[in-house]
Amino acid sequence: MIRCQALRWGAPGQPLTPPVDFELSTGSLTAVIGANGSGKSSLLKVIAGLQKPLTGKIFHDVPHKGSLSFLPQQQHLDRQFPISLQELVAAGFWGSKQSPNLRNQRLKTALEDWCLSGLERRPLMALSGGELQRALLARMSLAQTPLLLLDEPHAALDELGKRCSGNTSTHGTPKAERWSSYAMTWPLFANTSHTHC
Amino acid sequence: MLSAAQLWQPFHEFVFMHRALLGGLVLACSTAPLGVFLILRRMSLIGDAVAHGILPGAALGFWFAGLSLPALTFGGLGAGLSMAGLAAWITRRTGLREDASLAAIYPISLASGVLILGIAGKRLDLLHLLFGSALAVDGPTLNGMLWVSGFSLIAMALIYKPLLLDTLDPLFLQTVSRLGALAHGVFLTLVVLNLVIGFQAIGALMVVGLMMLPAAASRFWSRRLPVLIAIAAMLGCLSVWLGLLLSFFHSLPSGPAIVLVAGGFYLLSVVFGPVHGLLRRPPLFTSQ
Repeated sequence: MIRCQALRWGAPGQPLTPPVDFELSTGSLTAVIGANGSGKSSLLKVIAGLQKPLTGKIFHDVPHKGSLSFLPQQQHLDRQFPISLQELVAAGFWGSKQSPNLRNQRLKTALEDWCLSGLERRPLMALSGGELQRALLARMSLAQTPLLLLDEPHAALDELGKRCSGNTSTHGTPKAERWSSYAMTWPLFANTSHTHC
Repeated sequence: MLSAAQLWQPFHEFVFMHRALLGGLVLACSTAPLGVFLILRRMSLIGDAVAHGILPGAALGFWFAGLSLPALTFGGLGAGLSMAGLAAWITRRTGLREDASLAAIYPISLASGVLILGIAGKRLDLLHLLFGSALAVDGPTLNGMLWVSGFSLIAMALIYKPLLLDTLDPLFLQTVSRLGALAHGVFLTLVVLNLVIGFQAIGALMVVGLMMLPAAASRFWSRRLPVLIAIAAMLGCLSVWLGLLLSFFHSLPSGPAIVLVAGGFYLLSVVFGPVHGLLRRPPLFTSQ
């Protein structure tokens, strides 16, 4: 699905890795593990096309727009924005040609799956970091893109939130069917404890 | 004290008041959504920058064609668009912050405008250009205002959704659609268009006030975007109407009168507005 050739990335003049070749095949789940500053998030941005690689090429099997979802790491949203949680989640329907009825149904299911029922009309300002993160994940689940790029998706989630994300993969529409490829970053805690020793 | 009849009578009796009111009202309606989105996009200062940017174009138009509506309009439009475009281009290409790139562009345009007026030799009243006179709205200008307002309201309705997403979460929109940059471009064009048509009626700097003050005030009244826009439009219309009456009965310059009424609404909203107003204590329980 995605093939990277001699890929180097990072700040100009400071590549983070030697040239890397790798392939993400359809239906795979890839975890990127590394210490702070090792370039996990940048790699996802490069694959998402939001940042240019220093050298190398990325080949996509799928058309670029509308085929990948990217969940950035920091909460980059303006919390004062006058919009409700439901409107934020429903943005996942961008470009979809489904009937309004089906959309409403799917929206409701997604909100339930991510334990957001009852918060539909809350403004963004009144959401916690974890609730906002779940809303973004719910939006992503509605978009039904073949490629998902998640940057530390569990960062703000508590146990309930993590169970919710478990829900969506076990019942409802199974993840594997809908999402054919899946890459996520994971901070390497072992490494940080090394530096303390 | 004004009687009820006096609130309407000047607009019935005098054609110039009638035109100024109509033009001001449509302008207030079309600038309301622009102002609200400018604030949400953290681009509140671009109005000021563009208003100054219009000056060299209008000055060139004046130099070549004299005081003619099309020359001033197209000159101002060209200059305003290229100023806004240049600033946006520098930001996108180099990562220089938007406010810095605007702050760099607008003294350049203001200075070149004044320089061109100086070279042109003839005295076009700079004060008139910057602060205008609503009472000088003639037939063609009013027509222009009606067209621009109608066009920009329709265009805003068309780009509303992509613009909203591009404002809230540009990274997300970038991954699902290419419309973000287009919506941004159309939006900037509309801002310039409204400022250009407004600068002849109430002055380049005053129309910025009419765009931004009601939008800033509305933020204290609601948390929902469509409501914010409606409130901004309503406050803008009220400011135009009351401002014109003030200027009529007390022989004040009309542009500043309108903007100061809008400024009064803004200050009242800051103090009494239910959403984060100064006097508002957050409720313990809400309905949601």
